[in-house]
Amino acid sequence: MKVEVAYALPDEQFLQEVEVPDGATLKDAILQSGVLEKYPEIDLDSNKVGIFGKLHNLTDALQPNDRVEIYRPLICDPKEVRRQRAKKGKTSAKV
Amino acid sequence: MLMAILIVSVLAGLFGLLLGFASIRFKVEGDPIVDQIDQLLPQTQCGQCGFPGCRPYAEAIASGEADINRCPPGGETTVQALADLLGVEPKPLDAEAGEPSDIPMVAVIHEEYCIGCTLCIQACPVDAIVGAPKQMHTVIADECTGCKLCVPACPVDTITMEPIPPTPENWTWPFPDKPYIPITVETAHEQ
Repeated sequence: MKVEVAYALPDEQFLQEVEVPDGATLKDAILQSGVLEKYPEIDLDSNKVGIFGKLHNLTDALQPNDRVEIYRPLICDPKEVRRQRAKKGKTSAKV
Repeated sequence: MLMAILIVSVLAGLFGLLLGFASIRFKVEGDPIVDQIDQLLPQTQCGQCGFPGCRPYAEAIASGEADINRCPPGGETTVQALADLLGVEPKPLDAEAGEPSDIPMVAVIHEEYCIGCTLCIQACPVDAIVGAPKQMHTVIADECTGCKLCVPACPVDTITMEPIPPTPENWTWPFPDKPYIPITVETAHEQ
């Protein structure tokens, strides 16, 4: 079955289609796609992975046409952003 | 007499079988005109026409529910192409649907403010954003259709639309400054 592997940076996005056997896991697809060789900064122990916006384990089985995504951590701390916004007296960033 | 009846009946039976076979073999799935209209639409899935995507809009045009001038991303070119296909008069774009943008745009997420809320991912009609709850969200520029639907969805206003930077793949010759004057018989003689 065909699945895609995605790793996105602001200026450059890796999107690779791979053919994996039925019952393959997220890890199989990631290893097969070659993304780890191209982006050595990816550490599968710390970078979370998922399928189409939902977090999954590396050992979860894939469905045909899934997009395996390797995520990067946030830069800001959402709680800190919220605290600062509350200090300013705004309920939302929207005006 | 008997022979003639026999021959005609056999012929009728044969043609009946032929027609029956053809109707099964060449059965048309769906409405082919919808496919043709859908191909002319820009596939931004932006919903500015008032339908939840290009295909539903194509179906609405085919059934006569919608006008052909409700696609701002396609602009005048798409209206003209649809008018040619359907054999109707082209009309100016419906201002209600929105303004067409001249420069192709792509959504950019400014990472220092992204809080990983996934609202933009849910808003994106073409799955062009990679991200998960509390993880960095990033736009896949090649998949982004520039529909702007993620911009109002972001609670921290960190998505902006940026013009696509020119690369060797997408660069085109700039248009000349002077308006294009078609050469007619009269102007050709003057030159």
